Amino acid sequence: MIMLVILLPILTGILIPLIPFKKRKHMEIFLESLVIVNSLFVWYLMFHHTESIFTLANFTGNLSISFKMDGMSMIFGGLVSALWPLATLYAFEYMTKEEHEKVFFLFYTMTYGVALGISMAANLLTMYFFYELLTLVTVPLVMHTLTREAILASRKYLYYSLGGAAFAFIGLIFVIIYGNTTNFVYGGVLDLEKIGGRTNVLLLVYVIAFMGFGVKAAVCPFNSWLPAAGVAPTPVTALLHAVAVVKSGAFAIIRLTYYSFGTEFLKGTWAQNVVMAVVMFTIVYGCSRALKETHFKRRLAYSTVSNLSYILFGVTIMTPAGLVGAFSHLVFHALMKIASFFCAGAVMYQTDRQYVHELDGMGYKMPCVFGIFTLSSLALMGVPGLPGFISKWNLALAAVESGNSLAYWGIACLLLSALLTAIYMLTVVVRAFFPDKEFDRSLLDGIKDPGWKMLVPLFLFSIAIVAFGLHSVNLVKFFDSVAMGMK
Amino acid sequence: MQYMILSVFFPVLAGVYLLIKKERGNRKYLLVSTGAFLVITAILVVLALCLGREGMFTLFSLTERLPILFKIDEISVVFSVLAVLIFLCAGFFSFEYMKQEKWEKKYYGFYLIILGVLLALCFAGNLITFYLFFELLTLSSFPLVLHERSKEAVMSGLKYLFYSLCGAYMALFGLYFVERYGNTLTFSAGGVISDQAVSNHMGVLLLVAFLMIMGFSVKAGMFPMHAWLPSAHPVAPAPASAVLSAVIVKAGVLAIVRVVYFVFGASFLRGSWVQTVWLTLSLFTVFMGSLLAYREPVLKKRLAYSTVSQISYILFGLAVMEREAFTGSMLHVLAHGLIKAALFLCAGAIIFKTGKTRVEELRGIGKEMPVLMICYTFVSLGLIGIPPTGGFISKWYLAKGALTSAIPVFYWLGPVILLVSALLTAGYLLPVTIQGFFPGEDYDYGALQKKEPSFFMIFPVLILTILSVVIGLLPEGVIGYLSQIIEKIV
Amino acid sequence: MDFVQNFPFFSIILSMFSGIISSVLPKRAAKWVNTVMIILVGIFSFILLFYMIGRGNSYTYMMGHFPAPWGNEIRVGVLEAGMALFFCIIMILSLFGGRKKLDEELEESKHSLYYILADLMLSSLLALVYTNDLFTAYVFVEINTIAACGLIMIRRNGRTIEAAVRYMIMSLLGSGMLLMGICMLYDLTGHLLMSNIHEQVSALAVSGEYHVPLLVTIALMSVGLAIKSALFPFHAWLPDAYGYSTVSSAAILSSLVSKGYIFLLIKIIYRVIGIDVFDGSRIIDMLFAFGLMGMIFGSLSAIKENDVRRMIAYSSVAQIGYIYMGIGMGTQAGMEASVFHILTHAATKSLLFIAAIGLTDVSGGSRKFIDLTGAAYRNRWAGVAFAVGSLSMVGVPLFSGFISKLLFAQAAVQNHVKMLPALIVLGISTVLNAIYFMKTVIRIYTPVEGTGSGEGVTFKNMKIYVVTLVCFIILNVFLGVSSQPVVNLIGQGLAMFS
Repeated sequence: MIMLVILLPILTGILIPLIPFKKRKHMEIFLESLVIVNSLFVWYLMFHHTESIFTLANFTGNLSISFKMDGMSMIFGGLVSALWPLATLYAFEYMTKEEHEKVFFLFYTMTYGVALGISMAANLLTMYFFYELLTLVTVPLVMHTLTREAILASRKYLYYSLGGAAFAFIGLIFVIIYGNTTNFVYGGVLDLEKIGGRTNVLLLVYVIAFMGFGVKAAVCPFNSWLPAAGVAPTPVTALLHAVAVVKSGAFAIIRLTYYSFGTEFLKGTWAQNVVMAVVMFTIVYGCSRALKETHFKRRLAYSTVSNLSYILFGVTIMTPAGLVGAFSHLVFHALMKIASFFCAGAVMYQTDRQYVHELDGMGYKMPCVFGIFTLSSLALMGVPGLPGFISKWNLALAAVESGNSLAYWGIACLLLSALLTAIYMLTVVVRAFFPDKEFDRSLLDGIKDPGWKMLVPLFLFSIAIVAFGLHSVNLVKFFDSVAMGMK
Repeated sequence: MQYMILSVFFPVLAGVYLLIKKERGNRKYLLVSTGAFLVITAILVVLALCLGREGMFTLFSLTERLPILFKIDEISVVFSVLAVLIFLCAGFFSFEYMKQEKWEKKYYGFYLIILGVLLALCFAGNLITFYLFFELLTLSSFPLVLHERSKEAVMSGLKYLFYSLCGAYMALFGLYFVERYGNTLTFSAGGVISDQAVSNHMGVLLLVAFLMIMGFSVKAGMFPMHAWLPSAHPVAPAPASAVLSAVIVKAGVLAIVRVVYFVFGASFLRGSWVQTVWLTLSLFTVFMGSLLAYREPVLKKRLAYSTVSQISYILFGLAVMEREAFTGSMLHVLAHGLIKAALFLCAGAIIFKTGKTRVEELRGIGKEMPVLMICYTFVSLGLIGIPPTGGFISKWYLAKGALTSAIPVFYWLGPVILLVSALLTAGYLLPVTIQGFFPGEDYDYGALQKKEPSFFMIFPVLILTILSVVIGLLPEGVIGYLSQIIEKIV
Repeated sequence: MDFVQNFPFFSIILSMFSGIISSVLPKRAAKWVNTVMIILVGIFSFILLFYMIGRGNSYTYMMGHFPAPWGNEIRVGVLEAGMALFFCIIMILSLFGGRKKLDEELEESKHSLYYILADLMLSSLLALVYTNDLFTAYVFVEINTIAACGLIMIRRNGRTIEAAVRYMIMSLLGSGMLLMGICMLYDLTGHLLMSNIHEQVSALAVSGEYHVPLLVTIALMSVGLAIKSALFPFHAWLPDAYGYSTVSSAAILSSLVSKGYIFLLIKIIYRVIGIDVFDGSRIIDMLFAFGLMGMIFGSLSAIKENDVRRMIAYSSVAQIGYIYMGIGMGTQAGMEASVFHILTHAATKSLLFIAAIGLTDVSGGSRKFIDLTGAAYRNRWAGVAFAVGSLSMVGVPLFSGFISKLLFAQAAVQNHVKMLPALIVLGISTVLNAIYFMKTVIRIYTPVEGTGSGEGVTFKNMKIYVVTLVCFIILNVFLGVSSQPVVNLIGQGLAMFS
């Protein structure tokens, strides 16, 4: 069953260019229904999963490609499978303006399977495998427009990602050598006897691997690929570079920290302080870059940089509570950021406007889009009653409870970043809804909200944002049980 | 109980309704509905205060430990009554004043939302609810600052937003620690911090308390985070300035009351470095605000600086943490609210009628609009603190409280600065009256026209003036009412 | 004695003999003789491999039943048989893949000569693999050099002659050093047969006599072979030689010739000097350091290169660096990784060379990157093959490169001192590999305006080419997916060495 949900999208993707669809509509229906079916399978799996590990193939020795559905898989897989059908729907409308759609949907759909593969990987090697695969299937998506800029961006993306993986690989090796097993076991698999007096080397390796996986999670100084990759069509930027790809980096770090090295080994060491400091710096750095950026999508991309490090901050606290914070931001940020990206995409699609200073007065012409954008901005800022607040709350409480004095500074970073978030998001909102007194409205003639395929996902996201903001108790309880290692 | 919730949600929903309603150009309908909404809200508040006093009401929970909770105590009553009164007056004033402005519908929409949010702040039963509505207050009030859409307005709107959010986040930082070290987040007189935490984490907690006080006092315009206030308040339309200056800054005061007396507890902070720094800053702000107001030529800006100074009177009183000083602060909340609203409305009426904004242009204004200027004079005297107006009583209690307290240096320095500032207040408010009524010999009486504003404008000003005087004359009721709660918290 | 045990001898003789008769045969016949011969040798080696696996230990085969010191010995283990098989596979695939090009680039009269050289090359390689006699090894090293020079310069243009001369000089320098090493060993021990020398060297090492001469010997032989296999910084001859010769030659040279020398070195380390003595010398650290430097600088040069063939050639420098790094770790695991990487690199590099030629052919023969834009759309098979080769070199799971990387890294962890430099350089070099290979892949997959897809390049007229590419890809994936049996074999083979 696990194999099915991973392979189905990959096969579907491959089928798309092979089937001669008579009309575009047929392809849409075919694709959307398969994606939905796959998501339903995932959700079915989430409620009927077994504890057993499914092994596909053995590499060398004790290394194997195997899958398992545990709590973390449910979080990431559930998130991905909930977002994908909607993003696909959005892409149908968005891609009408772009060329070679089929190639696009080929890779777009394959990515779904690969992302699920990451989420359900049962050991480090399998995750690494899908992690590399994710890079490869998403590069064509970044390259899609084939402009010079896009090609440079995709190269950068590729170099950074493969390079990051190369260093993460070192971590993999050490877990193979010094661990009892490479399977993910909550609490870590390192064999302390084998390590003996070489703790410092292992800590160094942890830092290296953290930074390696951190490349995908856009940890400073390895973040510059993410804003550059914003040249991709918006469904890609929104779903992959705000959710699937970058979150898989964070996901991998969680696996590495909590399920391979184990927090007991890492907590209170210099390694923890190093990674935490890096993450804190990234939080602030990403925000301040977003502030300076005038390109709409790139601004959001920098915001992603900063927000991803929120997740990692939760991870580096290295307590179950921190993990809960990380999980909640992982899920909530996905919702908020995908909504805001989709808004930016809708603006680009309808008007070809890409820069923030071109957005004056658009709020009147596209009330739905900018209304939802405002909502997601507020959520990102962390206004109480919206999900951003909940995740920030969980993160900060975890930091306070950990008693780590560096983590206290982390709270300060979070709040500083929230302030900067307010600035860079709300200036957009202000422009859209409160244009200058002398603003000439006739410039905006003919602009209107996009069609239903774009609006439906947007509305569903905003409903989800509000719903989670008001009632997240059960979800957080679930996170709690996962973070305590019970699921 | 249900009135409590209704009085919060009704204005918010009404405001949202106004915002999303299609613009039809039917001004009368808009005014009637806004007026009706305001009056209904006022009635709901009165009902809530009279009938729904007991118990707490949990709306829903953000997380397991974070309920959104409402309850009413004496402090809520004082602030909510003030808010409703001033919103009513300024609202009716707007009906006339906003004729000249664009985007009226938006204005009334946000106006109503702010009222709802303010009431929610007054009724908030725990820190998280308070924080929630505190943020919402910033977000919903900043469109009013932006209203004019001039470059200056947008810039100061953003300035307002960022200062306020900055303060809010400082407070949020503290909130995390309070959640950790407190027994509960629910406001309870005398503080909620557990004794164990107090003994083990004194340093952190003091720092946190300081941050929260500083954060919330951004909204109250205390030095060094006051710079937004003089630029944001004057650019809004006059009635909006009135509510901003008279009520919304009080949200900061309310926040500090809640944090100091209901979360940390006066006994925890008394005598600590936090109190010393706070006293210093508030006194400095009192003096600095007056001085800046004194030097400011534009009337509305002058009034804004005056707000900076006057709010810090209140903060000083809170910082002293003595019974009498606290009473003084509460009285000054009321007095300043009424007076400053009246002053801004006066300034608005002058602008509306003559278009004059600078003080030196106002020569002979008293001859043109005598009723208005008489009101202005009365409330000015009140703000200076000349008996028997409201300002006198409140300052009297403030000074008395400071003198009876045992805080070294400040017990005499405070009253001295208050006095100096009162002189400055006279210096910046009274010239308008003097020049207005006695324009001097070279004044061209031939050009004089009667420009008395209409009933809609004069009436709210009159009401506010009368109320401010009444408070001064009959303060015992308020003091007696407040004494029970003061008993508990100080 | 089983009949199978004669196979190594047969293989060598067969290949040599076919070279000799090819000289009198016409072009087509020479081609067929060559093909049949390689296939036959491959089958021999295959059978031999299974025989050896069944047998479980190595055997020595005396030519003409004369015992040493008069006779000449062959020694066979699992590793030798496997290597021979692998060489045959790569050789035949390389020849097939480059055949079309060969027909174009070579003068009519040179064709049969080419196959003669190829036959000789194979025979020398087989001899290097199987021989148990140092002097025989030296002889075949020289034959190998001559054949290689011929292969380089058979395509006549100025660059190839220059390249061949360069290769010749460097190579002779290397063989000279090797010869000096062999002489000194003979001096020290009085033997030429590997097993005999080994005994003596162990004795010398224990007694501590002739410590310095022994060290010098080891150094001479290692450096000699290192020069011949283009270890950084002795790689100056390589880019031209690989870059300008005809494609089959480039593929054979990069994946077989240098690998033959490395194999010989490994053999010398195990069989002549003894792994313990070798570990104890400083030479191993030198090889390790050179290997690391090669990994970095080879890749850096490749990044700077604007010519796709030369870029691939520089990448060989880096890959050879990997192999020497593995040897330099001085552990069993490191050696296994090196041997595995010999296979990986051979399979991948020849794939890349042959794919590259397909790409340049459809780009007007130009090898500049700018002209390669969109080449993958003009020749789809070559495009896919190049992408696969690149991914393998970068070390993406599923392909053979990943397994080598995994093995190297695992081996590195066991050596506490060399672990960190090895791992970090491994990481950096992966990044560098990614940079130049992925740059190329993106380049060839960037469509240009106004070019139709695949004009003139259809499956029909490239049947052999495509089949070759597919075989290479399968080989690569096979090594990447089911590597465990191969690794086991290597381990078994190395165990048989001692």
